[in-house]
Amino acid sequence: MQPLANITLLKPAGAIEVRNVGQVFKTTTQDVVALEDVSLDVKPGRFVVLVGPSGCGKSTLLMMMAGLRQQTSGTITISGAPIPEPDPNRVGVVFQEASLFPWLTAEENVEFPLALRGITKSDRRARAQDALKLVGLDGFGKRHPHELSGGMKQRVSIARGLVQDPPVLLMDEPFAALDEQTRMTMGDELLRIWAATGKTVVFVTHSLTEAVYLADEVIVMSPRPGRIVDHLQVSLPRPRTYEMLSGDTFGSLRDRIWRHIRKSA
Amino acid sequence: MSAATLRRLIVISLIALWEILPRAGFIPELFLPSLSSTLAAGWNEAGEYGHALAVTLYEVAISMAFACGGGILLGAIVGSLPRPRILIMPMVSSLYAVPLVILYPVFTIWLGIGSESKIAFASIYGFLPTMLATAAGIQTIDPQLLLAARSMGATLSQRLVRVIIPAAIPTVLSGLRVGGALVIVGVVVSEMLISSAGIGYLISRYRTILDSPHVFAGVLLVLAMAIAFNAAIKWIERKAAIWQTGTRAGQSAEEIAPAALQPAT
Repeated sequence: MQPLANITLLKPAGAIEVRNVGQVFKTTTQDVVALEDVSLDVKPGRFVVLVGPSGCGKSTLLMMMAGLRQQTSGTITISGAPIPEPDPNRVGVVFQEASLFPWLTAEENVEFPLALRGITKSDRRARAQDALKLVGLDGFGKRHPHELSGGMKQRVSIARGLVQDPPVLLMDEPFAALDEQTRMTMGDELLRIWAATGKTVVFVTHSLTEAVYLADEVIVMSPRPGRIVDHLQVSLPRPRTYEMLSGDTFGSLRDRIWRHIRKSA
Repeated sequence: MSAATLRRLIVISLIALWEILPRAGFIPELFLPSLSSTLAAGWNEAGEYGHALAVTLYEVAISMAFACGGGILLGAIVGSLPRPRILIMPMVSSLYAVPLVILYPVFTIWLGIGSESKIAFASIYGFLPTMLATAAGIQTIDPQLLLAARSMGATLSQRLVRVIIPAAIPTVLSGLRVGGALVIVGVVVSEMLISSAGIGYLISRYRTILDSPHVFAGVLLVLAMAIAFNAAIKWIERKAAIWQTGTRAGQSAEEIAPAALQPAT
């Protein structure tokens, strides 16, 4: 039987395909190759972490998946379609701290993407309440960002990324500005939210421990030009626990990533 | 005793001293007429002062509109576009250092000694700080906020209305505070220099005939005007920019602090 021509459009929601992607930054004096021939498949519902030294283009790759920047060559598809501009129905993005609007309350921040689409106030409020409940901030909706701790701000940020229920959540070093304890707690919280929603998550970080602790798969990148140098499957069972951090499996995975990074740094 | 009570006590005792010292003969009436004789002088010539106040307020209102409207508009343009900024900012900054009052005689030659020359002078006088503050406010907006808005699908006009303007409000308001105060100074000073109406003119005229109570009555009116303006700006700041100071409107920092400490993450 002849395969249907549009079979590729039926890819399940949340799949990410990166094919031979390159990114060149043109400056007045020279062209800088930020990414070269990057290919990557993320299956729906997977938790994938991008690690690598500064300047390896991991954030750039994430920005291209979000439609915030266009690649110089190659293709990127999200749920089977290219992403020429940001599309909050397909992709939610969580940035480092400070990307909440300080003049809005927590719930108004979460409602922001809905307000852009002209959704009615009562509808918005209800969906924001659900999202805030999901991230464990029930009852904190009326606070302004300056009245929230760093971890709580990041929870609001995650709620904002999830409020339109996109199949993909992209996170650019979301916990980098948090202290160690908060960072651990937020990692567990994120895994809980991920398990509850079944989103595809692509997570950028500098922290090797965080990478192994959170991920199904870790992608290791090298700098200038950014390339994928290793792709690890993390076989640790879920739910992840603090005790695993001192286990042999964890140690050897962490070690393997570190050797790559030390070589290129 | 709280700082607020102490402040009130100081103000009350200064007012009391203003009444007591001249009455007791410690200070000659020519230097400082007592508060009651100042108020009486103003009351007896209520019609004259009322008319002068109307003229001054009219000039202040028009100049305020020019200075603030023009300052915010041009500041927004200069702040958001790099080319005009490089061209204009150095000129404006050096112009700001020039004592503009030297231009006032020129304005009277061009525009006569009526309200027009005062409005022209006070408008330019208040325009510069408003523009500089607005430009700085727009320039210092956190680019992460704009990126976050873009990731949620905000169009250019949505970014302007929902991000750039609210983010710039605190700096614009501090510019308005300085600019508006300078408008009042500009109007009153120019009335005192070359003029035929307004409170500044009255103060100047009564001074030439050494009528201190009438001079001080005029001074009191200008004082009241400045205080009212300051209160108005404070009110707007509380309404529009509660997030800037880190305290919520109508709520003191002490009330917020314990609440902010509650949850760990």
